[in-house]
Amino acid sequence: MNTKLYTVIYVVLFVSATVQVLVEFAGLAYWTAFALIIVLSAMKAVLVAAYFQHLRWEPRSLTYLIGIGLAAALALTFAASYSIL
Amino acid sequence: MTDSAPGSGGRDDPAHRPDGGQQADASTAAGELTVPARKSDYEEAASEFPSMGSIRRWFVTTNHKDVGILYIVTSLFFLVLGGVLAWLLRIQLWAPRTPTTTVLEPLAYNQAVSAHGLIMVFWFLSPFAFGFANYVVPLQIGAKDLAFPRLNALSYWLYLFSGILFGVSFFQGGTFAGGWTMYAPLNVPTFTPDVGASTAVLALTLFVASVTVSSVNFLTSMHTMRAEGLTLRKLPLFTWSILLTVWMMLFAFAALLAALIILSSDRLLGTTYFALESPAGSMLWAHLFWFFGHPEVYIVFFPALGVMAEVFQTFTGRRIVGRKWFIAAMVLVALQSFVVWMHHMFLTTINLQIKTLFMITPIGISLPFDLMVFALIYTMLKGKIRFTTPFLFVFGALLLFIIGGITGVFLGAIVLDYEFRGTYWVVAHFHYVMVGGVTALVGGLYYWFPKMTGRMYDEFLGKLHFGVYFVGFNLLYFPLFVAWETPRRVFDYSAGLQVWHQLATVGAFVLGLSFLIMFYNLTKSALSGDPVGDNPWEYATTAEWAVPSPPPLENFPGLPTYRDGSLGFREESTATDGGVATAEAATPSAAHHDEREEHVSHASFWPFVVGAGTFLLFLGLSGLRDASFPEGILGSAYLGTAALGGVVTLGSLVFMGLEPFHGPALADGEAWPFDGLEYGKVGMWIFLASDVVLFGGFIGAYVFTRVAFGWTLWEPIPENPVPGLVNTYLLLTSSFTVVLALVAAEKRNRPGLVASLVATFLLGVGFLGNKAIEWNHLFHEGLWLSSNVRASTFFLTTGLHAAHVIVGLVVTLYLAARAWRGAYLEDSSSVEYFGLYWHFVDIVWLFLFPLFYIL
Repeated sequence: MNTKLYTVIYVVLFVSATVQVLVEFAGLAYWTAFALIIVLSAMKAVLVAAYFQHLRWEPRSLTYLIGIGLAAALALTFAASYSIL
Repeated sequence: MTDSAPGSGGRDDPAHRPDGGQQADASTAAGELTVPARKSDYEEAASEFPSMGSIRRWFVTTNHKDVGILYIVTSLFFLVLGGVLAWLLRIQLWAPRTPTTTVLEPLAYNQAVSAHGLIMVFWFLSPFAFGFANYVVPLQIGAKDLAFPRLNALSYWLYLFSGILFGVSFFQGGTFAGGWTMYAPLNVPTFTPDVGASTAVLALTLFVASVTVSSVNFLTSMHTMRAEGLTLRKLPLFTWSILLTVWMMLFAFAALLAALIILSSDRLLGTTYFALESPAGSMLWAHLFWFFGHPEVYIVFFPALGVMAEVFQTFTGRRIVGRKWFIAAMVLVALQSFVVWMHHMFLTTINLQIKTLFMITPIGISLPFDLMVFALIYTMLKGKIRFTTPFLFVFGALLLFIIGGITGVFLGAIVLDYEFRGTYWVVAHFHYVMVGGVTALVGGLYYWFPKMTGRMYDEFLGKLHFGVYFVGFNLLYFPLFVAWETPRRVFDYSAGLQVWHQLATVGAFVLGLSFLIMFYNLTKSALSGDPVGDNPWEYATTAEWAVPSPPPLENFPGLPTYRDGSLGFREESTATDGGVATAEAATPSAAHHDEREEHVSHASFWPFVVGAGTFLLFLGLSGLRDASFPEGILGSAYLGTAALGGVVTLGSLVFMGLEPFHGPALADGEAWPFDGLEYGKVGMWIFLASDVVLFGGFIGAYVFTRVAFGWTLWEPIPENPVPGLVNTYLLLTSSFTVVLALVAAEKRNRPGLVASLVATFLLGVGFLGNKAIEWNHLFHEGLWLSSNVRASTFFLTTGLHAAHVIVGLVVTLYLAARAWRGAYLEDSSSVEYFGLYWHFVDIVWLFLFPLFYIL
């Protein structure tokens, strides 16, 4: 186990959380800021899953398993929201 | 035990291995035991385990076969309860009624309709099927038990206590009366004010907890505990149907859990998700409910399909035609079942484009079913049928399902649904499908009865039961198609339809009373029927028929293997000796599990206590309304019950954690796609996948409500994102300390491990403290759960997350205390699994923070 690697990941997460809030105050157009902020969240989530939950070194099936759950949740969210537009 | 299957097209497929009974005389290779197993092959079972006749056994057992029997017996009790409610409905419908001429009071009728639906779908149908799954699946996959035997017992007790809780709801002013679909806004206290209605919702929530535990357990077991050589392709069809059922359960019930937690919160805490004044509250419920509800149709039907396939194969003496395609069709249906839910919503305000799309997808899902139906029919044509009781029931089920399926196609067409929706056409259709499934499961009960009891039922009475059942069924449900213009859930209808309703009522009594024949037959036969051998069915081919009836506690006399294409048993103690027959399969892991294997545990009292504790907890919570208990003695009683329940639940979970218990050891069998992972890790990830859908449901509900409200008109509740940012820092740091804890544990550094866990705990407490300050501030600004739907989504979603943090902190304390005493240095897996959970909670926050604080 490599403590140094984990520390680097932690610092990156910490900084990008700060950046995320700064984006909000940067005065960008709403949907531009929206996209940036969501992308930053997704990026952090991937880092935590890949390194802290060490999915990078696990059989890929575990990643697919979570991916299926995520796909189901997104299908529900988007289809339901679209249905009332 | 490896003779290649002669004749009958079996080839290398264990699902069509010819009857093991004819191989008993074959000489055995060194280190291998006979198929079928002989009683003498078994080692002495653990002697301290109470016998079947002892009451104590049924409270402490964790053995999958015992749990299976408990499920079956309990579910049959709920069948009787739901059936009596149905009789009440049919008596009411003997004639069209006005509110003054009813047998049941109008509101009592509504309760009976709702309770009948809920009890039959949730507390009878699935648990009945899972009784068989519990009993048969481990035998069919060659496992000694499920991966987590105590969790299996826990699933049962949560199921039983949830059912009792539902029963209690009748006595708290009245149970839920808004129909089994619990449509909003009828499901909120404004319209269903009884305390019992809240209890019914909580009972269903507890039931879903049972299902979730069970899903994780079955999936872990079925994927990682299959015998050597038993790849998914070769899995028997009943086990295949259960595997797909459980996958659907994992995701569908998580969505239902989200819906039920939100509903409980609306009822108990006063949030306003489903309230009349919320934007699209009723639509939100419909989406969440049917996203669960349509897969649920296949969740209850698939096990029946699996039984049909097994029984058809056994009693036609043929392998199913197109086995591979049959499996592919089931997989397709399981996937498609998640993209058809809006065909239940054609009369809501969803737009035309999406209606059209959701008219097409149900047509798509009917195609694989056509394939399965034709495969079953063709199997009959090619085989030689023996008309035993199980076959009659599954054959009847096939006919009923065809009628049920075809009448459903009408409902999937938008224009026809405009006419049929809310009529008895729907009622008749889904009873043909669902009770058609029950018909197959009853066949399954007769089919496996000799295996479970070691005795044969009375064939004449069995056939008589089928005859009366089948006549009663069609007399009950077919007239409902004719009388389709009757409005659903209402006891008034046009007088011209009366004759059809009277026929149906007669049919209801015929169908219900036919079960008396079954109860008599099975009770008498269990006590004094003719004893049977391993395989009374001659052409039954799956592994449960290769062991004694009933199978001994540990199922197999050795390690089951399909290495040579058919079932054999390796002697476990010789497996590492490198005997000729087993040399290439012997692995190092086989050596050390032998010593543990002798002490596999079968008993724990704690699952029962956890079940009782949750029952008290939920019963106490049912008294809540708008986040407070009623005044006076009643309120104190509710509060006291909830507190007691909470203490009992938490305490028994801790004792369960501390109890020495050895589940089945990791065997070196088939584990695709989770090869090389231990049970605990697979189980944790499967659980997290369901938790993804739970939070997905919550976030989806927020997004949906916000879209209905107008996305950019919606302001975040906290005016200042900085407290949220501080909490993000705290959680990220606590994730980092959990990683450090694991590193310390792996380096056998006890102080480092304890310090990291304590740091994690403190950071988590900091997170909660910071949140408490923020909530307190908002509260004093006049914003609380019930202020408006914007506030409701904020408090409930972040509250659910906080609840996850609290659970994590309790576990952290437990781990820290045990680490202090030197635990986890040899085996750090508990710390690792906890970390997986904790990081997941962290990830969820990474999305909640921007969604609720910034955007």
